[in-house]
Amino acid sequence: MKDGDGQPTRREILTGLLRTSVTAGAAGTLYAVLRERPGPAPSAPRTFDWRRTGDAASGAIARGPDPAVNVRRAITAIGGMKRFIGTGETVLIKPNVGWDRLPEQAANTDPQVVAELVRLCLAAGAARVLVADFPCNDPRRSFTRSGIGPAAREAGATVFHPPRLGTVPARLPGVLSGLEVMALLPKADRVINVPVVKHHSLARATLGMKNWFGVLGGGRPRLHQGIHRAIAELGAAFRPTLTVVDATRILVANGPQGGSLDDVRQTRAVAAGTDPVALDAWGASLLRLDPRRLGFIAEAERLGLGTGDPRTLEELGTA
Amino acid sequence: MSWWRRLRLLDQLVFLAIFLWLLERLAAGDTRALPWAVFHHADPLTAAGLALAHHAIPVALGLSLAVVLLTLVGGRIFCGWICPLGTLQELVARWATPRRLRERLGRNRWRPLYRTKYLVLALLAGWAILGSLQTGLLDPLSLLARGLAGAVWPLLPVRGPVPGGWLAGALLAAVILASLWIPRLFCRAFCPLGAFLGLLARFSLFRIHREDGRCTACNLCVTNCQGADEPLGDHRIEECMVCLECIGDCSEQAITWRFSPGRPPHPAIPDLSRRHALGTLAGGLVLGPVLRVAGGGRTTRHADAIRPPGAVPEDAFLDRCVKCMLCQQACPTGAIQPALAQAGVEGFWTPILSMRRGWCEYTCTRCGEACPTGAITPLTVERKLGLDGGEPVRIGTAFIDRGMCLPWGMATPCIVCEEMCPTDPKAIWLEETVARRPDGSTVRLQRPHVDPERCVGCGICENRCPVGERAAIRVTTAGESRSPAAQMLAPRPDSSRKGTGTS
Repeated sequence: MKDGDGQPTRREILTGLLRTSVTAGAAGTLYAVLRERPGPAPSAPRTFDWRRTGDAASGAIARGPDPAVNVRRAITAIGGMKRFIGTGETVLIKPNVGWDRLPEQAANTDPQVVAELVRLCLAAGAARVLVADFPCNDPRRSFTRSGIGPAAREAGATVFHPPRLGTVPARLPGVLSGLEVMALLPKADRVINVPVVKHHSLARATLGMKNWFGVLGGGRPRLHQGIHRAIAELGAAFRPTLTVVDATRILVANGPQGGSLDDVRQTRAVAAGTDPVALDAWGASLLRLDPRRLGFIAEAERLGLGTGDPRTLEELGTA
Repeated sequence: MSWWRRLRLLDQLVFLAIFLWLLERLAAGDTRALPWAVFHHADPLTAAGLALAHHAIPVALGLSLAVVLLTLVGGRIFCGWICPLGTLQELVARWATPRRLRERLGRNRWRPLYRTKYLVLALLAGWAILGSLQTGLLDPLSLLARGLAGAVWPLLPVRGPVPGGWLAGALLAAVILASLWIPRLFCRAFCPLGAFLGLLARFSLFRIHREDGRCTACNLCVTNCQGADEPLGDHRIEECMVCLECIGDCSEQAITWRFSPGRPPHPAIPDLSRRHALGTLAGGLVLGPVLRVAGGGRTTRHADAIRPPGAVPEDAFLDRCVKCMLCQQACPTGAIQPALAQAGVEGFWTPILSMRRGWCEYTCTRCGEACPTGAITPLTVERKLGLDGGEPVRIGTAFIDRGMCLPWGMATPCIVCEEMCPTDPKAIWLEETVARRPDGSTVRLQRPHVDPERCVGCGICENRCPVGERAAIRVTTAGESRSPAAQMLAPRPDSSRKGTGTS
């Protein structure tokens, strides 16, 4: 059915088109039917709890010039990493990588503390160790200049940050409602929170529970309107396996990002433990604040998240 | 496919790939000092435009001399073998090639419309003489980079939205898709770079040569002709893109590309009436000032035209910026956006910072590294932050809108702007106060103030302010370092507040 110059006729074109569309439609329908149906978006739990059940609260403070040694001593004193990390588990380490600052400026967690934790987790049998944060500054710069990206990778962790790391919806309670959380959170079996001790003009101190700001998506600036309550609610919404407070250096003014070395004090200490409130109270005392007069610590105690008394932590002294 | 057709396609794809790879690396924050602007540095239209408008050519643009020489030797090889926008059009045109030979011949015949590009060039030259560099509007390299940065990269999940980008993307799409109808319509009819190279190509040493005795006037040479330069008749040398398709398509081996200098070109002058050309140039000379005045003029300072750090003073900036938006592609936070009306008519599609889209990262100097023409001068981190003993580079100053600010207007605690402020000591300081709430109770508040001597206008405060899409703290160009007229503070003999750690 060709005409003179070998071109297809209109009829042929129309039949061809019809045949193609019917085939494509059938294939599409088949795909739609056979494809695994995603149900309604999986609702994340209202709160996240990564604690090892049945553990009595414990904590220890180690002092000395080498941050990695401090980490090892503190962890050993509370029973060793094997007590907290099971074989084959996925561990998320959440340092404070908020700012495009050098380690010496004490705006971020010390990279050696993070790297040592990565090594301890891997040695304890963790299948994967993830290091992630949502920085306030450009993520690439923050992870590089803080030294945490290179140090964690070298220690064997996988490092995640935006733009490749996104958020997922989470039905968090109270003042946190409507905020999304870091997409890695639901995938982690264990989470270690690794804050650095810093001054903060509104909360007066930014420590472990405040460090959970870094797993929240957009909209988190509005939490400052009732900061003490918000920090305590963060502590209730995210219950870590371990909290490791980095006080290798602390930032005593111009927090939370500082800049000047005049605002940095060399405290050369690391504390680790399972009571986030006691550890925050210890960090606050380093900033010469009375822990129980800090709104967020009092609020956290009231919510039953721990004790605001830093004396519950075992002092290991200088190595 | 003849071997040189394959060779040319391969060559074009390599150049296109390099162009795209550089853009991708720039957006990905590659820390190597790659030659981000190498294509723009090889662009003689940019060099000529800067010579007319700025009366100086940055050294890096010396690379364009290579393209000038290439054109004087072999004609518009750049158009047919290098230009990535030409390649994209050609790929689309190849895909849409009609099967009927007669239609293909029709699409590749010369049309009077193709003279338009010389008028475009005359218009842009007229504006450039007046000091308004607008070549970037239609320069193929700027047009492509801008369209990709504004409308293609934002589609990737890792890049933020570009509110003004759709317009640049629409022009790019129109240019590329027009080739469905007429191959390389933009190159043939509108490209000012093509017109400029065409004028040079009239003197080229190598050119298409036809053996009149062998030619049977079959027209086959037009079948795949990229430049619509009619090798069958009197060859239009300034239109030829040296694609050499005619050589392979000629069944009589009548066409060669060979060394034949000094032959008079056809037509003897560009195919324009002198009246048209001079009229366009004169029109440009008149229209330029009209548009400048209509856009507010150069003496008017635009509050929202916050230029990237290191940008030269506005007058010089408009003489140099070729609107390629490489700076936008380089910006890690997405703050740099193409201006629509914020910078006047002349400043259309020049880069400005939109602090709700991003902010100027304190230690970042990427935009100046990418800028091909020195409209944004490269800065060291020390120079930008004032660590070298000088004043830091300010791109503007933040102002608090007390009616919108939570502690000022609504007796609600908030210190986000202060927390984010990167300077040391912070340019935003807090004043402790006790305020009354509607129910009569009191609340302790810290109210933010901006210290204009310390603020560098980076805008992270505006970016993170929790109040609505319009922030309660906003940056304007007031106080920007590059403009003496923008200084609001009288210089102080006592500079005790400079330096660090003295709060």
